[in-house]
Amino acid sequence: MTEFAQQVVAGLASGSIYATLALAIVIIYRSTGVVNFAQGELATFTTFIAWTLVDHGVGYWGAFALTVLIAFAGGVALERLVVRPVEGGPVLTVVMLTIGLFILLGGLSNWIWKAEVRSFPPNRPFPTSTWDLGGVAISKQDLGILGVTLGLVVLLYLLFQYTKLGLALRAAALNPAASRLVGVRVGWMLALGWGLAAAIGAVAGLFTAAASPPLDPNMMRPILIYAFAAAVLGGLESPIGAIVGGLALGVLLNLVVTYDTHLHLELDRLRLPIAFLVILTVLLVRPAGLLGRAVVRRV
Amino acid sequence: MSRLATVRGVATALALAAGVVAIFLAPRWVSDIKLAQMGVYFIALLGLNIVTGYTGQISLGHSAFMAIGGYTTAILVVDHGVRDLWTIPLAGLVAGVAGFLVGLPALRLSGLYLALATFGLAVAMPDLLRWDKLESVTKGGQAIQLFNSPALTGKGFENVDLLGHSVTFTRAVDYLTWTVALVLLVVAWLLLRGGPGRAFRAVRDSEVAATSSGVNIAAYKTLAFAISAAYAGIAGSLLVIAVAFADPQSFPAKLSLTLLVGVVVAGLGSLWGVLAGAAFIQFLPDVAVHFSKAQGVPDTVYGAALILIVLVLPTGVAGGAHRILMPLTSRLYTRS
Amino acid sequence: MGRSLFLALAAFSALGIPIAFAGSAADPGITPTSIHIGGTTPLTGSAQAFSSVAKGAAAYFKYVNARGGVNKRRIEYEYLDDQYIPSETVRQTRILVQDKNVFAIFNTLGTETNEAIRPYLNEVGVPQLFAASGATSFGRDYRQYPWTIAYQPTYIAEGAMYGNYLRRTMPKAKIAILYQDDSYGNDLIKGLQRGLASKAGNIVSKVGYAATDDSVQSQVARLKSSRASVLMLFSTPKFTIQAYQFVNQLGWKPKIFVNAVSSASNIMVISSSRGQNKRVEGSISIVFLKDPNDPKWNRDPGVLLYRKIMRKYGRGGSIKDVYNLYGMSAAFTFVDALKHAGKSPTRRSVMNAALHLNERNNPFLLPRMSIRTTATERYPIDQARLQRWHNGKWISFGGLLKARS
Repeated sequence: MTEFAQQVVAGLASGSIYATLALAIVIIYRSTGVVNFAQGELATFTTFIAWTLVDHGVGYWGAFALTVLIAFAGGVALERLVVRPVEGGPVLTVVMLTIGLFILLGGLSNWIWKAEVRSFPPNRPFPTSTWDLGGVAISKQDLGILGVTLGLVVLLYLLFQYTKLGLALRAAALNPAASRLVGVRVGWMLALGWGLAAAIGAVAGLFTAAASPPLDPNMMRPILIYAFAAAVLGGLESPIGAIVGGLALGVLLNLVVTYDTHLHLELDRLRLPIAFLVILTVLLVRPAGLLGRAVVRRV
Repeated sequence: MSRLATVRGVATALALAAGVVAIFLAPRWVSDIKLAQMGVYFIALLGLNIVTGYTGQISLGHSAFMAIGGYTTAILVVDHGVRDLWTIPLAGLVAGVAGFLVGLPALRLSGLYLALATFGLAVAMPDLLRWDKLESVTKGGQAIQLFNSPALTGKGFENVDLLGHSVTFTRAVDYLTWTVALVLLVVAWLLLRGGPGRAFRAVRDSEVAATSSGVNIAAYKTLAFAISAAYAGIAGSLLVIAVAFADPQSFPAKLSLTLLVGVVVAGLGSLWGVLAGAAFIQFLPDVAVHFSKAQGVPDTVYGAALILIVLVLPTGVAGGAHRILMPLTSRLYTRS
Repeated sequence: MGRSLFLALAAFSALGIPIAFAGSAADPGITPTSIHIGGTTPLTGSAQAFSSVAKGAAAYFKYVNARGGVNKRRIEYEYLDDQYIPSETVRQTRILVQDKNVFAIFNTLGTETNEAIRPYLNEVGVPQLFAASGATSFGRDYRQYPWTIAYQPTYIAEGAMYGNYLRRTMPKAKIAILYQDDSYGNDLIKGLQRGLASKAGNIVSKVGYAATDDSVQSQVARLKSSRASVLMLFSTPKFTIQAYQFVNQLGWKPKIFVNAVSSASNIMVISSSRGQNKRVEGSISIVFLKDPNDPKWNRDPGVLLYRKIMRKYGRGGSIKDVYNLYGMSAAFTFVDALKHAGKSPTRRSVMNAALHLNERNNPFLLPRMSIRTTATERYPIDQARLQRWHNGKWISFGGLLKARS
């Protein structure tokens, strides 16, 4: 029983990271209709920027905040300069562009920061201590990450539902032409979406470096797939869905693998295929995901 | 119109002849091994172009079909002693069936969703190949060595007798790959020039209009998937023959992305651009290394070049060439 | 020009003119003033941290060249990126052998990578020298693969050293193992079982992971539930760092053994979160090279030489990165073999020299260690000492142990 609980706890921990990156993916999709394949690499890149700041003497939390801001600015710049020209064009072109960014950012991270093994942060961001709850160890770091993730989604929910800016963001995504007519600066709304997503992605990257060291240029590659699965599971349009999807996926993967000893299906090697199965099943059976609204396309 | 058709026919025949000559001359300047790999890319790109360029279905999963074809060849050669040449069409067949099976659910997914799902497939495939439960078929995570296998032409290192000439193994592989490539190019060309090609283009341009005109969308979309998967399977098979080696890591997800790069550089819906696309993905990393030997530079140039092409030349090399050549050929367009 | 040489040879063979085998200049890659060797290493990709193995060797060769080379020949060492992917290793190695006509393949990194090229190199008679892998098969299967020799102590031997130690000092302790599910991890387990002998039953839990996984948190949690008091980390650096972190977070306090591949000081420092993670204290590993981060070697001539070479020829590589030192050691041994291969080395004579090493003066290995090989005993480095991590440093204890396979 304790093992079950421990695996659930560990699943929630890894799931929070999937959820955070999934959140970034959802934000961009919701505000621009684009699935950004480069989200993970962007997160890695910004995490390296944070490392550089700390390496030059900035304190961890200062670097954290600064990196989030830099990522935001970077996301806005990316959208305005690189993505804008192809928005509204064929889907394939945009997919190609984000894949180009994926390759480019991966290459840049390797080029600038090279292959050394480094941990980030050098000291733990949250205390390493754990609480023992009936034999189950719950680390403060994991709890902290989960807390921040939930906090982010609450903030975003409030932003989208209760602020004028959020309304403008949603309008620009749903119906750009009509939004322009009522005075929404659609172009800047799209850029804002990218900026927000990049900032959230930076947080995901910083968490990953802390929870699954070391910091290396490839660290977000598998996380990207899990994040896609989480976003699809929860609903590509739903920030809350991203969190639900992420946590559920994290727990599901851990439990399946743990209880495989009874099933003898050797599933412990199949984490990624299981994620793929989740993506495929959801897209076929209920494309809107658990929390998205089903969209009916009339021809 | 008939004058145009004649010119086109002559141009095509000349191009094919030039292609055959090029296959023999190229190894003088470029390594056999790299040429063979470029040929593998070329075939895979032909296939990908059919499904993505012609019917507009984005597939990021073609590395998985290459893996299926490659493993088919490896298993047949090593476990069953089937001559490698005969495994090539078999690999295409198996991969084609897989493509058909993927194409069916793909009917219900569009655009981005299809890209996502096929990307997931590409990422999952290496792990599936490592799965213990499939070990009796795929040997789990272990490599399959075709080297020294009697069923492999030249056993991987010996010289091969080709029409009375003795050529090295790698040279023979190079010739084999490009011969198959040329044949598949002609097949694709015939296919796309005829009924299926028109149906594919109709599906891409407007599914609504196509259905109204009586085109069976589902059939053609799945057909496109199957054919393109078969091409990828043959490419995978040739890859395995070339390195005399197969393992799950030979077909990583990144390969799917690389293929998509090639197809966009080529220009979607164009067969001739595919040659430029294959050359791009094969040789750009080699060129990038001249800028700097530091790690990550090739990828950086690769990604930057891709982004630039997408922004500046969205119709790819073929589109660009078309734009340049059109004024020259406009005189051939008669009004009737 | 290599191509025309090849064509000339082909023409000669066609004419039936016999080409003398030993002692001829017919081997490619060697001229009176240079010898061209090649290898592959993961410059990019998941294992890129190990690329220093090639860079350290390259620096050493530059140093040797600056001193006139070996028998007036400069050593041109070319290493290509194989991204740690075996099929890519095959391709790049064929390019090195067939297009660039290298004399020998040297210092290629990885077990599966080296296994992938082994049949080809042996078939065409190209020496596969000092493969950077601890798989026993490279030393054991010499009848089938006479042109192959590895370098470092084998993983089986390493595991046996741990097993032996446990059998003698902790015969009742229950053992849990985190391992990478490939031949490297499995060899370490085999060795451990061998060393434990009658006590092999003490292993109560083995949990594996794939090199492509992102986190081993779940695996470590499972291992903890076995209530073992000893934990073997048969994992690569990334997962070793994670394992230490998760062991700490789970509140588990086993005695930890960490395998040599992941025992580099900089990795241990990262694992200990600069001292905050106390689980790292007391960890045990083996060592066969001098650690450039250990102040006890600060005045050692070998380490001073290492530092000098890195500064002058290391092209910005980190002196703290012990894989550079490994590479230098392998390069030193190569130069040793080359010196004993005669004034006009051939592939056969260099291979022969590599199989008859009697090297006592390698400045980078631990004191009193020697490298000895014969045609049937192909384990250049087969000695090591145990070491314990204490207060941020490795401290060796016990004597020089034979790391027998």
